[in-house]
Amino acid sequence: MSEAYFPVGPGLGPEENFLSLDDILMSQEKLPGRAESSLPRLAFALGQGAAGGSGDSIPEGSKLEIPMWLAKGLHDSKRRIISVELPKIYKEAWRTVFSADANVVDLHKMGPYYYSFGSQLLNFDNPENPEIAQTILQTFISRFRRIMDSSQNAYNEDTSMLVARLDELERALFRAGQKGLNDFQCWEKGQASQITVSSLVQNYGKRKFTDMDG
Amino acid sequence: MEPAEAEFLAEQELVTIVPSFSMDRVHLIGGDLGPFNPGLPVEVPVWLAINLKQRQKCRLVPPEWMDVEKLEEMRDQERKEDTFTPMPSPYYMELTKLLLNYASDNIPKADEIRTLVKDTWDTRMAKLRLSADSFVRQQEAHAKLDNLTLMEINTIGTFLTQALDHMYKLRTNLQPAHSSQSQDF
Repeated sequence: MSEAYFPVGPGLGPEENFLSLDDILMSQEKLPGRAESSLPRLAFALGQGAAGGSGDSIPEGSKLEIPMWLAKGLHDSKRRIISVELPKIYKEAWRTVFSADANVVDLHKMGPYYYSFGSQLLNFDNPENPEIAQTILQTFISRFRRIMDSSQNAYNEDTSMLVARLDELERALFRAGQKGLNDFQCWEKGQASQITVSSLVQNYGKRKFTDMDG
Repeated sequence: MEPAEAEFLAEQELVTIVPSFSMDRVHLIGGDLGPFNPGLPVEVPVWLAINLKQRQKCRLVPPEWMDVEKLEEMRDQERKEDTFTPMPSPYYMELTKLLLNYASDNIPKADEIRTLVKDTWDTRMAKLRLSADSFVRQQEAHAKLDNLTLMEINTIGTFLTQALDHMYKLRTNLQPAHSSQSQDF
């Protein structure tokens, strides 16, 4: 209860949390897809600028990289406008890597929002959805132990090596674990009863008296 | 909850002191504080004991569990068992810190006691992590852990509840997607 700011977490289900910064950043990640029908005058928006000789319409069947927010909006069950494919880390090959040993994968490089993005992918009808959902859950469970151990045992160390391979969701968990540890250690040393500057006010800087008059 | 709040709750525990002053019975909202006579042991809450000690008006008597042999036995038993053994006091960590910081001159072998309590704490935290890991791995719905103290729960609490939240949401993804709620007029 000493926190002044409670960030809204990512909604990990079929719907994103509107107010979550993590979800907003996540929905900017790109998906591979194809245009199912010709899209007039959208070449500049979808990055096909120089290629289309006929100016600015996207021909049918051309490959696109679309951000998730656009893909969700343009997708409908009759699939007239675009069709999406799974990015490669959610495909069969990588799924077997995750089920073999999830701890070795560098989830930060693979797309820093593996879990949230994967949950959003389940919105598109795809016969592999149950396997994708299962893989995401199992990956989280296998990596949980390592996050717990490293966050609860690394006191006063440089943690950049430990968090380098974690995705954003896991990093938030790591920070929570670190906070628990730091609070306990700080209490044990007796620093808990010292009054410190609140983090919200620390950056204000000191203004000279004369500045306020001018 | 923060460690400082757990310490505050721990200060309500009773401890024996030997005062060096005299005073009649005091009636406080939380209870009575018995008459103080110099040289006669009396039981008071820890907050008062620490305060009197700081003003050099009493001598603290260590609680009977704060003894090297008993703590060694406790530590060895903790290491042997797979589950948590009952602790001599639900606030053993806080009491150890308070008493050893303010009254170490009244407690024999204070450093050894500190080390023993720390060892027991480390063993218990390791067991707690093991239990949390198997809880997550097997995706259980609920777990029961006896004999955990508030301080231990606090240290791991935020992390564990957040992780379980995420796991729950990811697990509901496994259910077949709800029928889309489109309205066709």
